[in-house]
Amino acid sequence: MTRESLTLALRYLTAALGAAAVLALAPPATAQAPLKIGASISLTGTYAKLGSYQKEGYELCAQEANDKGGVLGRKVEFVIYDDQSTPATGVRLYEKLITEDKVEAVMGPYSSPISEAVANVTEKYKKVMVAPLASTTSIFKKGRKYAFMVISPAEVYLEGLVDMAAKRGLKTIAIVNEDTLFTKTSAIGTAEMAKKRGLQVVFQEAYPKGNTDFSALLTKIKAVNPDVIAAATYFDDAVAITRQMKELNINPKMFAVTVGGDLPEFYDLLKQNAEYIYGATQWEHTLPYPGQKEFFAAYKSKFNREPVYHSAAGYAGCVIYLEAVKRAASLDADKVRETLLKMEIKTAFGEYKVDADGFQLAHKMVMLQWQDGKKVTVWPDELANGKPRYPMPPWNQR
Amino acid sequence: MITITPVMLGQVIVSGLLAGALYAMVALGLGLIFGVMRVLNVAHGPLLMLGAYVTYWLFSTVGLNPYLSLLVSMPVVFLLGVALQHFLVRRVVDAPELSSLLLTFGISIALVNFAQLAFTSDLRSVEFITGSFLIGPFAFSKARVIACLFAAGITALAFLFLQRTRLGKAIRAVSQSREVAQVCGINVQRIHMLAFGMASALAAAGGTLVAVMVAIQPEMGAVYTFKSFLVIVLGGAGNYPGALLGGLLLGLVEQLASLFLTTQVNEAVAYVLLVIVLLLRPTGLLGGRST
Repeated sequence: MTRESLTLALRYLTAALGAAAVLALAPPATAQAPLKIGASISLTGTYAKLGSYQKEGYELCAQEANDKGGVLGRKVEFVIYDDQSTPATGVRLYEKLITEDKVEAVMGPYSSPISEAVANVTEKYKKVMVAPLASTTSIFKKGRKYAFMVISPAEVYLEGLVDMAAKRGLKTIAIVNEDTLFTKTSAIGTAEMAKKRGLQVVFQEAYPKGNTDFSALLTKIKAVNPDVIAAATYFDDAVAITRQMKELNINPKMFAVTVGGDLPEFYDLLKQNAEYIYGATQWEHTLPYPGQKEFFAAYKSKFNREPVYHSAAGYAGCVIYLEAVKRAASLDADKVRETLLKMEIKTAFGEYKVDADGFQLAHKMVMLQWQDGKKVTVWPDELANGKPRYPMPPWNQR
Repeated sequence: MITITPVMLGQVIVSGLLAGALYAMVALGLGLIFGVMRVLNVAHGPLLMLGAYVTYWLFSTVGLNPYLSLLVSMPVVFLLGVALQHFLVRRVVDAPELSSLLLTFGISIALVNFAQLAFTSDLRSVEFITGSFLIGPFAFSKARVIACLFAAGITALAFLFLQRTRLGKAIRAVSQSREVAQVCGINVQRIHMLAFGMASALAAAGGTLVAVMVAIQPEMGAVYTFKSFLVIVLGGAGNYPGALLGGLLLGLVEQLASLFLTTQVNEAVAYVLLVIVLLLRPTGLLGGRST
C-alpha cells in the first residue's frame, strides 16, 4: 500500500468512526431507550482469553434479562470496549463510557489491577461498579463507596485445606508461593488461617516467577517433613513442583495448589501423578447452586463451549447488579448501593453478601481433589460430591 | 531455621550440576554465535522453545520417544538457523551492535508469535519419565540425569568437532580473526551459516531435553536467553570451554543460593556473582577475546 492510499484509508476510517460516534450519541428516540451498561474488558493482550469469558457471561446475563422483559421496563444493552489488558486504557475507556457515551450504568473490567485503576473513575462519577473478577482485598478497603466484590479474595483460596487439615488433627504445614501479588497474598492468608487453627507453619518461602527448578526449595521442605504442603501457584510452577516432589520423594499427608490444580490441563500434563492433589477454585459447574444447570445449558448452547469460573462470575456479577436495580426500582447510585449492601442472594455462582465496604463475605471457595482422573469437590461439606482420599500415599508405593 | 545437613547439601549440589550441564550446552550455542560474528542472539531462547515443540509434536502425534526426537529437532532447527543466518543475520554482522540486537529481538518476537499461532498459548507437556533414581540418601531425577548425560555428550561432540575437524578449526579461525581466515581461503559466509545452524541445534537439543521436565509454552525460551547470556559472560565471551565452566557454576550457584538463602534471591545471587567476576576478571573466568 502506498503512503497516499494509506492516508486515504485512514481518512475514511476516521470518517466512519466519527459517524458511528454521532449515531451513538444521538438522543434516545423514545422513553423506552435501552439501559446501556458500559464496561471495558481485556479482549486482546495477556488477559484476552479470560476477559472474553467474562464478556460472554455479561452477554448471556443481558440476553436472559431481556427475554424476561428487561429491567425497569427497558432493554439491557452492553457497551463493551477492549482495554488491551492495561489499566491505563481501562481508565480512559471508563472516562469515555461515562462522559461521552453517557452510559447509565457500568460493570467491572477483568482482573484486579484494572479494577483497581478504573474504580477511581467510577467513584469520581458516582457510578456503582460491581467488579466480578477482582479478587484483591485492598481494592474494596480503601473507603470506596460504590465498588462491590463478587468472588472470594486471594487470602482464603486454601481455607478448605487448612480446615480439613485442622479437623484431622494435623500439626505442621509448609507454605511456598510465587513471588507475585496474588500468590503472595494467598500464602499470607493461608499462614494466618493455619496459625488460627493451631497448625504450626514450619516452613515458608517464596520463589521468583519463571522458576523451573525447585530442588533446593523442596530439599529444605523434605528436611522439615511437614504434614501438609500448601503451594500458592499459577500453573507451570504447580506442575513443576509436583514433578519434583515425586523425584525427591517428598510425602506430605496433604498437598494443595491454588491456581492450576483446577484446570483439566493439570491432569493432562501430570496424568496419574495428579492423583490425591487438592486444587482450589471459585466455581465448578457441578456445584449445587440455584439456576446452575440452566446457566450451564444456556451458556453451552450460546457460545458452544463449557463455561469456566470467569464466565460464571461475570454472569453472576451482572445478575446481582440488575437484581439490585430491580429491588431499588431505580438507577440512582446511592439507592442501588444501599440495596447492594443489604442484599443477600444466591446465583449460579454461589452466594453473595458483602460487608459495609462492599467486600465479599459469603462466596465460598471450594477444594477439589483429583480422584481417578476426575475432579471431585471435597470441601466444604455442604457442596461436596465426594470424600477426600486421605492421606496421600508415598510416591514410591503407588 | 532449618539445619542444613551434609545430605541436603549433597542433594542440592547434585541438582545444581545436573541443571548446570544443560545450561552449559545451551549457552555454548549462544557463545558460538557471539564468538564467530560478535552477534548476541536474543532469539536463542525462542529457538530452544521450538526444539521443545518439535519434541512435543512428535510425542503427541506419533508417540516418538522424546530422546529420539533429538534426531529431528536438532536438524530441523539447524536448518532454520542456517536460513536465518543466510536471509537475515548476515546483513547485520558488521553493523553496529544495536542492529544485531534489534534484528534478533525481532526474530525472537516472530518465533514466539509463530508458536502461539501454530500451537496456541496453552501449556503442553511431554509426560514421559518421572521419578528418580535413589542412590543412598540422594535422589537423582531421572529426567534430569538423562538430560545431563545427553547434554554432556552433545557438548563433548561439539567440542571434538571444534577442536579436531577442519570445519571446526575453520570456525575457530574465523572467531579469532575473520580477515586472516578469509585470506587463508576460508569461506567466511559459509562458516557463519554453519555456526548459526550449530548454535540453533544446540538450543533445540536443550529444548528437547527440558520438554520432559517443564511445561512447554511459547514464552518459555526467554529465561534461557538470559541464563545463557549470564553463562557466557561468566565464562568469558567467545571462550568455548568458558561456557562449560560458566554453566556448571550457574547451576550450582542457583541451587546453593536457594539452599542457604532463599529461592527468591537465587537469580540475584547469580547476577551479583557476575558483577564480582567482571570486577575481578573483566574478560570472564577463563578470559574471553577482547573486541
